Amino acid sequence: MWDSAGIALGKFLDPFHLAMLLFGVLEGVCVGLLPGMGGVASVAILLPFIYNLDPHTAMAVMVGALAVVHTSDTITAVLIGTPSSSASATTVLDGHPMARQGQAARALSAAFLSSLIGGFIGVLALTLSIPIARPLVLTFGSPELFMLCLLGLGFAAFLSGEAPLKGIVSAALGMLVGAVGVAPSVAHYRFTFGQLYLMDSLPLVCVALGIFGVAEVVDLLAGGGKIAERMDLGKGWLQGMKDVVENKWMLVRGSLIGVWTGILPGIGASAGSWMSYGHAVVVSKERDRFGKGDVRGIIAPEAANNAVEAGDLIPTLLFSVPGGPPSAILMGVLIVNGIQPGPRMITDHMDLLFTIIWSFALANILGAGICLFLCKPLAALTSIRFAYLAPAFLITMIFGAYQSTKHLGDLSVMIGLGLLGWGMKRMGWPRPPFLIAFVLSNPTERYLWISVNRYEWAWLMRPGVLVIMGLLVASLIYWALTRKREAQGKAEAAAAPPAWRFTPKAGFTLGMFLLLAAATVEALRFPFYAGLLPLTVAIPGTILAAWQLVLDLRNPEEKKGGLDLGTSAEAASREGTRRAFRYFAVILGYYALMCTVGFRPATLVFLVGFLRFLAGAGWLRTGIYTAIVFGVLQLLEYSLAVEMPEGFWSVGF
Amino acid sequence: MKITLTMLAGLLLLNPVGHVAAAADFYAGKTIEVVVPFKEGGGTDIWARVMAPYLQKHIAGNPKVIIRNVPGGESIHGVNQYMARAKADGLNLIATSATQAFHVFLGVKAVQYDFAKLKPLLVNPVGGAVYVAPSTAVKTAADLLKPKEKLVFAGMSPTSLDLVALLAFDVLGMDVKGVLGYEGRGPARLAFERGESNIDQQTTPAYSSTVAPLVKAGKAIPVFSFGQMNDAGELVRDQAFPDLPDVDEAYAILHKKKPAGAAWEAYKAFNAAAFAVQKILWVKQEAPSESVKAVLEAVDRMQKDADFLQKAEKALGGYPALRGDKLEAAIQKTYNLAPEARTYVLSLLEKKYNTVVK
Repeated sequence: MWDSAGIALGKFLDPFHLAMLLFGVLEGVCVGLLPGMGGVASVAILLPFIYNLDPHTAMAVMVGALAVVHTSDTITAVLIGTPSSSASATTVLDGHPMARQGQAARALSAAFLSSLIGGFIGVLALTLSIPIARPLVLTFGSPELFMLCLLGLGFAAFLSGEAPLKGIVSAALGMLVGAVGVAPSVAHYRFTFGQLYLMDSLPLVCVALGIFGVAEVVDLLAGGGKIAERMDLGKGWLQGMKDVVENKWMLVRGSLIGVWTGILPGIGASAGSWMSYGHAVVVSKERDRFGKGDVRGIIAPEAANNAVEAGDLIPTLLFSVPGGPPSAILMGVLIVNGIQPGPRMITDHMDLLFTIIWSFALANILGAGICLFLCKPLAALTSIRFAYLAPAFLITMIFGAYQSTKHLGDLSVMIGLGLLGWGMKRMGWPRPPFLIAFVLSNPTERYLWISVNRYEWAWLMRPGVLVIMGLLVASLIYWALTRKREAQGKAEAAAAPPAWRFTPKAGFTLGMFLLLAAATVEALRFPFYAGLLPLTVAIPGTILAAWQLVLDLRNPEEKKGGLDLGTSAEAASREGTRRAFRYFAVILGYYALMCTVGFRPATLVFLVGFLRFLAGAGWLRTGIYTAIVFGVLQLLEYSLAVEMPEGFWSVGF
Repeated sequence: MKITLTMLAGLLLLNPVGHVAAAADFYAGKTIEVVVPFKEGGGTDIWARVMAPYLQKHIAGNPKVIIRNVPGGESIHGVNQYMARAKADGLNLIATSATQAFHVFLGVKAVQYDFAKLKPLLVNPVGGAVYVAPSTAVKTAADLLKPKEKLVFAGMSPTSLDLVALLAFDVLGMDVKGVLGYEGRGPARLAFERGESNIDQQTTPAYSSTVAPLVKAGKAIPVFSFGQMNDAGELVRDQAFPDLPDVDEAYAILHKKKPAGAAWEAYKAFNAAAFAVQKILWVKQEAPSESVKAVLEAVDRMQKDADFLQKAEKALGGYPALRGDKLEAAIQKTYNLAPEARTYVLSLLEKKYNTVVK
């Protein structure tokens, strides 16, 4: 095996190869930067370019892009709280608050260094596990995978911060939204209301971009001013690097969790970064800063999500089962070149396997290196008035979300969930449980269904199942016990005399309750097996939402929030709320215009209108800005074969 | 900007240098867009991407051939959109798989396409076989009715291509428990490898790379192939599995007579769409005749291109790429499912697999 490694290294150091790898990395970094275009998009886009390349070079390009997919997507996550791919949503939780506190450079450098090392550890683990990969993967059957999903969901509890009740309801809603589409158990369509678009579940990118991205952008706009209200001088990128060194064991653990979730097919990259974050919360003694700007909340998930891509290579290359959408494309490229992934990879194509491994390692270094250089200039963006940055971000988000399935429904999903996400943020409802539950909804149901169908209830006694269940229970108990101090504070608050009042907070809770109640009613009409999961989730969810409603009515001053940076005081004021609604109206108007006359005319109107009337820019600035934006869009369309949303009466330009 | 130049350089360097275009070629200087109603990386996507460069090479005029993925709506949306919007100018093609045909067969309401309005240009058959685990003590097709342990099949949705396997089991009278809901053939095969299922099916490209090694290691025992429907409407042995009995023969082995009846007719109908003409590249009926002629001639040339044959062998399992016009009648016949077959299958789905097709 190791002589193949040597041969591959020789082939790999060929200058043309390295140039193609760099090309892939650059494309991955640039495209991954754009919200919504990370992940699959940046890899899919390369397909037309690799037609005539031999397999080794083609792999160099694709792996170059794949390896850095989760490096550059951190940038928007930190700066504007908008994940570029769903896995980077975890970084938003602590990265964005840090940016708001003026520590953007620190957050970014910690993230990039973690990504680099995480990816490296991932590749190392990948290489070392090749000999034992097959038996390793085969030990995990559907029951064990179900338990892992449950573990992931359990972690949602840790991410509810001080509001576990709201966290559970949030997760319940997330699971129901994840159930939209065809049921894994019986071919029945749930919550689709006759819409063809909804038959295929909501695209993950649109959900993540909506709940975190749009919500965050509107919130920043409503607050007025800049991303970072104060610049913390002296806490720059060097500090970020120091943080990584200080937390090296967390980094290593996070990477290993990441590789592990990658190796197991069916769990997904985002689950890996959430589990890594969850583990960071559980094992840390001081948890108060999580969600408010704790650098460990960046290190763990960032290491994990790069490691996941490395781990993904195992099922993809050794089992012919893609670990995730980007790996599916990689697999496709191999097959088109006549190389069938599977057990034969080790016997017939070991050298190609190593080319892929070396490419991955080098791409991680290059990608992180490039991004590290960009830390300072990127951090400088946080000192610009956000109203200037917002239109460009919104346009790229809309554009990026549209690439999911190239259907206007993608945008409806994103904007709709943006509204929900903003409401949740304002009213102190934690959003991470929603996203985790959304991601894990289908896999959990699928594996439970298969387990029960195949083994009836005997699967509960399997050793793997018991071990993971033990881990889950132990983590929950440990976490609950170490929360004693906060519980005392709560008891005091509860002892205060009730002051029944209907506040906006209660109103929002009422809305959540109604949503869950409606889902319950709808789910009652599903055939038995299709309705099982929705009802199991919706009924308790509705009851808990009702309980929360009672609490909100009773103690309107309760300020406890979720593990999500609360809204700034400015944005939370009445004026701020009014501004937020105004911005939503603007976005909806843009969307409606796009649906009628198409992307370009709508964008022109939106851009000019926003800059002039909402950002107060002069004509000169507006003109230059618009020209640059259109220039970039043109470039993207020309070089990357992306599609612009079309309207019903597209004005043809 | 660095990116543009690199990418432009890439585009220029990496495009194949074609033949000099004759002045009268319909496709000279044009671009063909092939819609693939599936995500990138799926079977049909891979097929289209293997074909594309060869189409580009062999169609007179060397048009650029690009793939556009339009996934969504259970792979129905892309076809709906194509029917509604694509121009019949010979520059807009679509690649479909038997999945879309099955939707029509089962009467899925969301279907807004009609294959009678499309003209097939290029057809690729696919083959498949069923294999069991040694723990079943089944050594050949003759043992299928008395396995040592209950047969468990890991499958995807009952309305997916796995339906052919379920129909085969039904015809043969096998007692198979279907554990459905796996995400794809890959995960289902993994389930077989770890003992979660003990009977599985795979189609040709995947079979040779993932199942053949298992067979060699004694971990899988192939029992029968699905067979291919020939022009005369008979099921014959699959060329990719010359030593395996097809379903017809397996039935004879098990029941000592030839199969007949509703289940058999239904099986043959679905088998034809699922295997003999699984992958089809279409254009709209009203496309100009020069464009159709140019593509068909390209298919002829591809069939003699040694490079293509070698690549197709590895990537697609070795079946020939066939001219669509020669198969047009057969395809239209296949795609016109007999109502009795539909009724039979829908009732089987409802009774045995709790599935009501909407």
